[in-house]
Amino acid sequence: MTFFIVLAFFNGAVISSSRTLNGQMSSQIGPLHASFWNHGVGFAFLTAVLCLTGQWNTLGLLAAPRSSYLGGVFGALFVAVSSFAFPRLGATHAALLVISGQMCTAMLIDWDKKGTGPTLIQCLGVILVLFGVYLTRILKPTSEGEPDEA
Amino acid sequence: MIGRSMDWILAFMGGALLALMIQYNSQMAQSTNPIMASWTAHGLGMVLSFLFVLIQMSMNIEKGINKKNFKLPLWLCLGGIPGACTVILASMIVNSGLNLSVSIALMLVGQVVFGIFSEALGLFGIRKRRIGPADFFVPLCILSGATLIIFGRSET
Repeated sequence: MTFFIVLAFFNGAVISSSRTLNGQMSSQIGPLHASFWNHGVGFAFLTAVLCLTGQWNTLGLLAAPRSSYLGGVFGALFVAVSSFAFPRLGATHAALLVISGQMCTAMLIDWDKKGTGPTLIQCLGVILVLFGVYLTRILKPTSEGEPDEA
Repeated sequence: MIGRSMDWILAFMGGALLALMIQYNSQMAQSTNPIMASWTAHGLGMVLSFLFVLIQMSMNIEKGINKKNFKLPLWLCLGGIPGACTVILASMIVNSGLNLSVSIALMLVGQVVFGIFSEALGLFGIRKRRIGPADFFVPLCILSGATLIIFGRSET
């Protein structure tokens, strides 16, 4: 379990770099164009990795529940939604609202899967996380809101 | 006032979309493997984002496109690669037994810490910023919150 906790921290660093690169590209060609380009490059890269490693699993793909195909749809939708709302909201409000939405939805999904609701302590944990995100915006210089995938 | 509320709702829904994206990608990874799950997500995402680009072009919305200084360095074009890796890693983490909210909170800690580190060094062309003691309070706050989420679950 410790390994996956460390992996989560590491993935956070990768997400941060990816978000920065996407933001730089978005400022040049617009968020929707950048999203298409990044999805395309990612797709080409993964196709190469799958060809090299031979990890194709077509049977698994066909047997997967229909709902599991929604991941890519939601990712692209996020960029479209945020490119509309973020510039009007500003970086501080946008970040807080996105993280709030993420944490609340994640807790609801966990509740649905496990059958037990979040405890008071877990809710306090979410509030602390949101407070930390709020602090990041206060300490950073103000910048134009930009869509980014966390 | 209604327009402003709509923006708040959209941003909140954006966060919900991200959580759902991680959840369903992880589900795909369980049926196939993390690399296939990321490949599927990127393939479908590419098709949908292409549709959005077409819609944007047909509506002549060109917000944020700087046509005057169109100079895209090569390294920036590779931004899709770390993105592909994040999806692989996220599905591995969620499927490890850590639940979704814990996984997201921990990844947030990593994001914030690396973000502070990037700003201190001016990585990826972002503006350098002097980091003070207060900046370390932020990851501590988020990490404390993540710890409460991990250990605060009910024993059933």
